[in-house]
Amino acid sequence: MTREQRLKKRYTAEKRFRLMGIGAIAIAIFFVFLLLLKVFSTGSTAFVKTTIQTEVDFNKELLELKDVANPNIEQIKSAEFFDVTYKAATGLFPYSNAEEEKDVKQLLSGNYELEIKNYLINNPDALGKKVMIDLTASDDLDQLHKGNFPRDIPEDRRRLNNFQLNIYDNLLEQGKIKTVFSNYFLFSGDSRDPEIAGVAGAIIGSFFSIIICLIISFPIALMAAVYLEEFAPKNIVTDIIEININNLAAVPSIVFGLLGLGMLLGVFGLPRSTALVGGITLSLMTLPTIIIACRASLKAVPPSIREGALAVGASKVQTVMHHVVPLAMPGTLSGTIIGLAQALGETAPLLLIGMVAFVVDVPSVPTDPSTSLPVQIYLWSESAERGFVEKTSATIMLLIGFLIIMNSLAVWARQKFERKW
Amino acid sequence: MKNKIKAKGVSVFYGEKQALFDVDLNVAEKQVTALIGPSGCGKSTFLRCLNRMNDVIDICKVSGVIEIDGENIYDKSVDVVQLRERVGMVFQKPNPFPKSIYENVSYGPDIHGIAKDKNHMDEIVENSLKQAALWDEVKDRLDEPGTGLSGGQQQRLCIARAISINPEVILMDEPCSALDPIATAKIETLIDELKSLYTIAIVTHSMSQAARVSQYTGFFHLGKLIEFNTTDKLFKNPDNKMTQDYITGRFG
Amino acid sequence: MAEHLVKSYDEQLSILTNTIAKMGALAEKQIKDATEALLTNDQEFVDEIVGKDDRIDELEKNIEAQVVDLITMRQPMAIDLRETVSAMKISGDLERIGDLAKNIAKRSRYVSVKLPDNIKKTIGAASEKVQKNLKLVLDAFVNRDAKVAEMVWNSDEEIDNLIDISMNSVTEFMEREKNYIKPAAHLLFMSKNLERMGDHATNIAETVYYLVTGDDIEGDRPKGQSDILSGQ
Repeated sequence: MTREQRLKKRYTAEKRFRLMGIGAIAIAIFFVFLLLLKVFSTGSTAFVKTTIQTEVDFNKELLELKDVANPNIEQIKSAEFFDVTYKAATGLFPYSNAEEEKDVKQLLSGNYELEIKNYLINNPDALGKKVMIDLTASDDLDQLHKGNFPRDIPEDRRRLNNFQLNIYDNLLEQGKIKTVFSNYFLFSGDSRDPEIAGVAGAIIGSFFSIIICLIISFPIALMAAVYLEEFAPKNIVTDIIEININNLAAVPSIVFGLLGLGMLLGVFGLPRSTALVGGITLSLMTLPTIIIACRASLKAVPPSIREGALAVGASKVQTVMHHVVPLAMPGTLSGTIIGLAQALGETAPLLLIGMVAFVVDVPSVPTDPSTSLPVQIYLWSESAERGFVEKTSATIMLLIGFLIIMNSLAVWARQKFERKW
Repeated sequence: MKNKIKAKGVSVFYGEKQALFDVDLNVAEKQVTALIGPSGCGKSTFLRCLNRMNDVIDICKVSGVIEIDGENIYDKSVDVVQLRERVGMVFQKPNPFPKSIYENVSYGPDIHGIAKDKNHMDEIVENSLKQAALWDEVKDRLDEPGTGLSGGQQQRLCIARAISINPEVILMDEPCSALDPIATAKIETLIDELKSLYTIAIVTHSMSQAARVSQYTGFFHLGKLIEFNTTDKLFKNPDNKMTQDYITGRFG
Repeated sequence: MAEHLVKSYDEQLSILTNTIAKMGALAEKQIKDATEALLTNDQEFVDEIVGKDDRIDELEKNIEAQVVDLITMRQPMAIDLRETVSAMKISGDLERIGDLAKNIAKRSRYVSVKLPDNIKKTIGAASEKVQKNLKLVLDAFVNRDAKVAEMVWNSDEEIDNLIDISMNSVTEFMEREKNYIKPAAHLLFMSKNLERMGDHATNIAETVYYLVTGDDIEGDRPKGQSDILSGQ
């Protein structure tokens, strides 16, 4: 083979190699892109809700506040709202029989009574007046408006009957149907009604769990890694400990759930379904990850730093704590953040310790019952209502968003604090 | 000439392998003693016995007696940390801490509680840097990281760091190997000045350096001390043929 | 002695030694030829001898250059250093010996008279002894033999004594033959030159001894009898 031929052969081989690499990355990115596309297309609508403009008459007599001249907030709160809300709901559209009356009422979300009450509490000068309020629509109407329900299937297989469809078309024509930003999704807890269900409870629950996980696992893992790397004698006991830690990192997460169930709930009697227990369970899972990351960082600190410190008369402990550990911090931190990001997305162990219950209230302390984001996704994905489909996707979007932020934070932290020695 | 350090019958094992065989060597007080020899001859190993840096290596076993001012430093009652307060070390590759220049020098006095207050510490830092012939170059940037200095400056910083705790002995393990000729010359001048205050033992690959800076020289080969003499005698007319073969480059 | 790790270093040192040997051989020959020229009155010979001295001077410069190169390139230590420094000193002594031989040859132009036998004999003997010492000491240099060097160092006395006798013979000749005072004066100078050559050979012996042992020869140089003429 001549030199030119050899050269050409080498060039083509290199090109081929490069193309293979690019191809591999392209395939991977393609699949990620597909996932994101699917999730975004289904989930983006969860951030908005459909409202129906309804006339509400805050008649003082109906509210049984007739005799009160200038009612204060307390009095308003304890007023009788039923008549007002009933009138408002049924006033949407004329009906002719009890069944049709029910149909009309069902067009509003189950929370409409509370919405009307809150409106008056927030706008007390509406008392005694008739106002137009944009009340949240029921999830059936919401989904219909978002185009998720086909209209051309037989009536008995539809969620909205012909009468309701007629009302919808009418209201739409009158311009009373609007799409607005849904404050429910991000700020309220879970609910049986999809249109008012939100992830606030799950977000706070996840937040508490991760914080507890961090508080418990970081110091323990740091100390364990420092001990194993710097102080433990090189004997068989240390080797066994090392092997076990590496194995723990590979243990399926559900096993930690069993541990949590047995030990934390069974033996220690901690309250089930709380972020406290969730956090402790997750911390057990995250420990090996942080230990391994921390040990790798400690190993990477060059021996010349240690020698320099020892030679100046620092004790072993001083050498490690004043010099080695600070230099190992960037790697440890990024390992920790990655470990926490993993913990954020864990479902199985949390299911076992009971964070699967239906919890409506947003937890205020870690000992309140709560759920977490991935568990919420799981729960909603199991529900029948169509309205939960978009919520599930939207929650997935949120979760992916948080994970991206946390991983980016890890990369940034590592780059910013990495010190050259 | 008073001997600051007396080593008798020192042998060092790394596991099964013996690195030093029964070495007897004395280091004279406030003089410079050079240790020369080909790679792997044990000179660095011996040097590191003098401040018990070999303790850091698990499989390393040291036998024999090393006395500083008459006390055996390998005695069980000796605290290694206190020993290293008296015997400092400068390494082949400059290894300043990744901290500021000031903190590099103040770290030692800090952990040993030498400084009474901030002013005293400032004094210690300034004196150490002056003794190390670095003060003029860094006095305006004490807060900058030590790792930002040039190689020669870093090594002088390491020397300042060693001096800051007021040791009696300074050990230098090939301090100029990683430096250019000008930086090397500055360090050699420094060593000459320092010997009036400290006892110095230096391991070096450069025979001309040993001839220039030291008053006594020990030649090691394959773990044995072949010859120990005044530098003058050893380089002009050594007693041992192996020594002569080494210093004239006839080794092989 | 083992070889240097760097072969060219060994080669440099051996070239240096060879150059000294060459220079020494030339110097020896010059002494022989100059003495012959004096004793046989051969004038053409003299010109040859004078011409050859240039060669000796060249060699001295050459050796100087080699020594400087060695120091620059090799920074010689211990024995190598002593070899280098010794070569420098010896070349100086040999160059002086060459000059002294040239001087004898030149002066012989003015001694065309027929010399008495006794003068011829003593001068001849002294010259032979000087040549012998020089040869011995140069061999000692090449062979690194301290014993021979020491022996030569001790035997300078003999040369001094011979020169002493020679000078006395010449002064007697001057007293007898008042017409021949000028040539006789030249003879005195020539004798002195021979004596000085002996001293230079002794210098070389000291250098060789130092080269081999690293120490100086102990004691004062043995000198011949004291005499006003030889100035001992």
